[in-house]
Parts: sequence; C-alpha cells; structure tokens
Amino acid sequence: MQCSLLLLKLERQKNCLIRTMDTLLPFKKSAPLTIGLELELQLVDLHHFNLVMEINDFLRRLSEISHTGTIKPEITQSMLEINSSVHLSYLSLLNEVEELRGILVEEADQTHIGICGGGAHPFQKWKEQRIFQTERFSSFSEQYGYLAQQFTVFGQHIHIGCANAEDSLYLCHAMARYLPQFIALSAASPFHQDVDTTFDCSRLTVISAFPLSGTPPWILSWQEFKTYYQKMLRLGVVKSMKDFYWDIRPKPEFGTIEIRICDTPLTISRAVDLVAYAQALARWLLEKRPTLCRDIYLTYLINRFRAARYGLEAILIDPIQQKNILLADDIVQTCNQLESQAINLGSQDALTRIYIMAVERKNDAAWLRKQYAELRSLNDVVRSQTEIWRYGEGSEKKCSH
Amino acid sequence: MHDFLHFPLHINPVFLFGLTLLLGLLGGEIAKLTRILPRISGYIAVGFLVGPNGFNIVTKTLLIDASFFVDIALGLILFDLGRHLDFNWLRHDRGLLPMAITESFLTFAAVFTVLFLFKLPWLPSALAATIAMATSPAVVLMVAHDISSEGPITRRTMILTSLNNLFALILFTILLPIAHIKSSTPQVISEHITYRLLGSVVLGLIMFMITINLSRLTGKNKDSQFVLFVGAIALSIGMAISLNLSTMLTLFTLGVVARNFDYKHKLTEVDFGWLARLFFVLLFVVTGVYLKLDGLWKFTWIVLIFLIVKILAKICGVFIFSATSRLTKQQALTLGVTLLPMAELAIGMSNRLVYFNPNFSYQLITIITAVVAVLYILGPIAVQLAFIKTGEAEKLSY
Repeated sequence: MQCSLLLLKLERQKNCLIRTMDTLLPFKKSAPLTIGLELELQLVDLHHFNLVMEINDFLRRLSEISHTGTIKPEITQSMLEINSSVHLSYLSLLNEVEELRGILVEEADQTHIGICGGGAHPFQKWKEQRIFQTERFSSFSEQYGYLAQQFTVFGQHIHIGCANAEDSLYLCHAMARYLPQFIALSAASPFHQDVDTTFDCSRLTVISAFPLSGTPPWILSWQEFKTYYQKMLRLGVVKSMKDFYWDIRPKPEFGTIEIRICDTPLTISRAVDLVAYAQALARWLLEKRPTLCRDIYLTYLINRFRAARYGLEAILIDPIQQKNILLADDIVQTCNQLESQAINLGSQDALTRIYIMAVERKNDAAWLRKQYAELRSLNDVVRSQTEIWRYGEGSEKKCSH
Repeated sequence: MHDFLHFPLHINPVFLFGLTLLLGLLGGEIAKLTRILPRISGYIAVGFLVGPNGFNIVTKTLLIDASFFVDIALGLILFDLGRHLDFNWLRHDRGLLPMAITESFLTFAAVFTVLFLFKLPWLPSALAATIAMATSPAVVLMVAHDISSEGPITRRTMILTSLNNLFALILFTILLPIAHIKSSTPQVISEHITYRLLGSVVLGLIMFMITINLSRLTGKNKDSQFVLFVGAIALSIGMAISLNLSTMLTLFTLGVVARNFDYKHKLTEVDFGWLARLFFVLLFVVTGVYLKLDGLWKFTWIVLIFLIVKILAKICGVFIFSATSRLTKQQALTLGVTLLPMAELAIGMSNRLVYFNPNFSYQLITIITAVVAVLYILGPIAVQLAFIKTGEAEKLSY
C-alpha cells in the first residue's frame, strides 16, 4: 500500500512535468553500443500456477533489500518489471540480471509465489486481471477499456546506446529488417487463454490491437521527428513518447533505441543472448551503414505476422532482394555476418547460442509445446516455466524429483 | 385420495436438502442486498430461524437426516484445508510456523486460564480452549471466494487456519477420550488416543495412495480428477466412520499429503467450485440451526471475557512473529482478525463432546455455544472487512 502510494506520487510529479512540456525531451548523449535490458515477468501461485495479484506486497518486500537496477510494477497486479543498469558488455549485464534473479527468487520463496518468463501466461483469464493503480495505468485503463486487462502479456525490451539522435532514427529503420528474427528467437507464448494458439508468439496479436502500435514513421532527421512528435502531442494523440507502442522506438531520455518486439524468454541467459545479438547487429549496421529503403515496410507486417505465427520456420519476403528466405536461414546468415562484431564485443558465446538455436530451430515456444506434450497440463507447464527460470536450462531434469 | 396421502407429510432428506438450499439462497441474497453482510450471514440467519431456537421447522430428527450432507461438506472443507498446508512455504518463511504455534497456543492458554479462574474444571476448560484455537475454514474460504480476495494476507489466513485446525484436531483427539466417562483407565485412554490419532493419519495415507494410483488411469483430465477427489473424500469419510476414526483428521491428512507428497505431480488442482458452494450453503444453514445465544445472557461475563482473550490472543500471536515473516503492522492486524471466526468445526467438536459425554459440564457447553454463536455471526463480517482493508478483495459485494 505504502509502495503504491509512493509510486502514485512519483507518477503524478512525472505527469505534471510532461504536461508542462510541448516539446520532445532532448536526446541524451550516451556511450554508443552500451546495452540495457527490461524484462516483464509473471508472478504465479505455487499451487495452481495461475497469475497472482501480489505485486504490491512483493514490491514492498523488495524495497527493503538493496539491489542494482530497478524493479517496478506493470499494468496489472501480477506483472513485475526488472530494468538493468547500463552495460558495455553482455557478460556484465548477465551478471547483474542473474543477481537480480537471485534476489527475486529468494524473496518470492519467502512469500511463497513463483516467478517465470514467457510472453503470455498460458491459461490466465484476462477479465480476472486487476489494474495496478497509478495515475498512468488508471488513465490507460480508462482509455483502452478491456484492452488494458488483455495487456497482461510479458515482453523484453532491449536498449542500445546511440551517440546521437540521428543514429537512433537510422537504427530504428535499419533494424526493422531484422525484427522478425527477434520475434522468432524470443517467441515464448504459444499458449494463451487456455488454448494452443498455433502461434509461436501470441503476445504480438494483443499488442497489435493498440492504435499506436506498429512502426515509427519514415522520418530520418531528428528535427523532423520533433515536429512530428509536437503535432501528435498538440492533436492529443499522445501525452509522451511512452504512448507510442512501436516495435522499436528512440528513447531520447536514455539516449538509446528500444527494441520492444520480443517476448520475455524463459531464461535469463536467452534474454541476455538476445541483447548481445542486438548489440552486435547495431554495431554492424552503424559500421556498414547499409542504405535505408522505405520498401522494407512493404512486407514488414506480413513478415512480422509470419515470424509470430511460424517462429523459426517462417518464410520471410525480402522486398529489396525480391526473394523468399527461411527465417532460420536468415538468422544463420546474419550470425555469420556478425562474427567479427561479436569477437570485438566479447559476445561470441552468445552469438554461437543464437546460431545453434536457428540451426536446431528450437525456440522457447518449441520447448513449451514439448513440455505440454509430456505433462498434458498447462498448470504443469507453468510449473516447469518457474523451474527453468530459477535453475536455467536443464531444470526439467534437476526438478523431476 | 386419502389412500395416497398421509398427513402430516413426512419430510424426507431430499426434501430437506432442497428446502435448505432454497432458503439458504434466499437468506444469502437478502444479506447481499445490505452491502455490509456477507452471504454467509444470510445462510446462518436462515438456519437459526428454521431451527429449534427460531420457528422450530427443522427438528433434531431432521438434522440427523441431514448429517450425510454435512459430513460431505466438512470432508470437502478439511481436504481443501489440508491442501493449503504447504511444507515448502513453512521452510522458506521461518516466521510462519512459530506464528501459527504462538497464535494457537496463546489462544489455548488464555482461554484455559480464564475458564479455570472462573472455577470451571480443568478438563472441560482444556477442551473448550482447544475448540477456541481453531479458525473456521469454511468462513474464511467462502468469504475469500465471494469477494475474490487474493493476495499475501488471504494466503496466510489459509495456511494459519490450516495449522491452527491441525493443532486443535490433534489436541481434541487426545483430550476427548480422557473426557469419556467409560474409558477411565489410563491404558484404555492411551490406546484409544493412539488408535484414533495414528489410525486417522494412516487411513489418510492409504486413501492418498489409492487416489494417486487411480490418477494413473484418469491422467490429468480435470473432470475425471474431480470425480476422483469427490469419491476419495466420500470413501474416506465412510471408512473413518466405520472404523471409529476421526473423519476430520483423516480428511485433513489426505489433503496435506496430496499437497506435499505428490512428487510427480499426478494430481491436478481441482476446484470444487459449484459443488463446494452447494455444500457450503447447506453447511452454514444446518450449523445455523445449532446456534444458541442463551449463554450470552446466562454467563455474560465469562462469555465476554472468553471472546476478548481469544481475540487478543489471536492478534498478539500473529504480531509476535510478524517481523520474522516481514509483515507490516496493518497486515499483522488484519491477519489476526481473519483468524477469529469459529463455526462448523467448533460446532462439530462441541456436539461430539456432548455425544461422548452427556454429563459434560452444562455450564461450559452453554458458554462454548454462545461464544461460537457470537463469532459465527460476527466472524464472517470481520473477515470480509479485514480482506477489504488489505486491498486484496476485488469487490465489496459480489
């Protein structure tokens, strides 16, 4: 209760600040290619493994413990978000997030709840979800009605530091070509509302319902972007940059781009591998500076859909080369392309694991389906999610009693 | 016509079942309209009004007919209560078990001391204090369900209720044979205690093994497992009655073992849902029949002091270990309040006490029934307010 009051106060102050501005925050200068991670996690009951409304008390307990990074609430009361600090290498990011995971697991044990990854809870009922009461979330709920409760899905956001605003806009559009890869690699939401959706990533269909989802406008100069933003602000379409639920967007207050397309993977290591992959890709793009072509968006939505639907088996349409390619093969090619970047960034191991995933075509969605085939119960699938989150891969063996 | 009909009409158990449900439903809906009272209060009021202390529609003979339904209802509740006792949680939260022990035995000690100071004999006082230890699982389960209360305090209420009922059940099973007028020799008493305690636990374990083996046939199908659980519960009740064991302890053991020893997760989390509601309505109405408030006028001071020390002991017991469990003061207070209701199990224990020893202190039975009546009436309201205060309830009234 105290915790939510404090958050409410902070939120009000922040909103007052935003209301007084009619311009975009200046793009903060940050060290290029620094990385950061946001993960939205599920809080579950340890008996029936449904989502639990525990965030208020859990945040209070966590506030009594010192830790790096930030831990905060999300739109509904069974969601938790962890944010890392800024890092230069993926290994230091991994260490920090693993430390955070340890703290979360210990605290969750004491109050007897479970924590897990995954892009959607397999059988929660959206109408049972309760909004976390802050001014922002309440206004969101009022604006979007039942969509706010349906927004109980769990994503990973990746931040890549940019030297300047122009670089951030360039990367937002250059990365668009690769976003289906991130969808397929992170896909971890095959089950939703008690059914196998036949999608690898069902979370994206929830996000697509929002009018401000999709891709950023085709603007490559920061000055023009500022004008666009001011127009949208004056028209009352948005109140801040946070209202754009784009798949990728510049984040001026951090001096980063934010990739928002990924499901929260089932393990910390996979989440950090994806950050390392994005970092290597950003480095390659900034170094090679391939020419941007607006035609990339001709097939963006269909490729996005196919990646969500078929995962690593999706057939992508390359509008520039005018050919089709298997998504898994596209990732393999990209990994080969990024090898020297990964060596320079010290993230070869992460790149190798991404490569193996693509070759073996095994993402988290495949793992979840395999669990369901063995266990025949979605409750037990969530149980296995909590175990793999706690112990990492191979946990099914460790926890099989 | 007179060949077919015989007046007065015989009220059969099915008629009684239907009538209880419909009247209970009516009472529950009227209570709901007040927006303050929980549905349970309406069920209890109906029971009280139709019982011997009200309009005397439901007689003692009819209550015996209804005992089958009440046994099933209690069985479902105790099995569910046992499933709330998760040893893993006790291992991780070092404050939880000490909190349960403290609040239970502080209540026992306080109530026992008060009754003893009022010159009541030690054994009946100890039995009354044992009954006072247990929180009503039906009240907390049903109020939490009705107002969709979910969260840390609701969950802690369940596990503490589970533990204080366990302590009370064990202590009651030990003390009861001592109060038995016929089994006066120490050897007979100890044999009786051992048989009932161990026998009930062993029967619970055997029923668990049967259930888990049958689950291999049903697989994880929820509908089949629902039938499996209801069947296992009914069979356990029947066996416990036939073997003269404690039905309560048997069912509780079955629940605890199903929660903690199902290593391969063969059993699913079956929600008794609508079935539980049917039996809960029935249980509250039927137990409402037993409510007697005359002790409140006859032994006003003892009843009031009994109530006050019970309330204080429960709240203090929770407070002492709240810091170890990292609860806030407000959480500890509301948790203490949620542990106050006494109802179906207390009534069951009191009835069993009279059954076992008809010469049992009239004064004490009158006191116990008055305390139970007060906490049966006020308990659900207190629990509802406490859950609302924690912010864990979704809606004020359904």
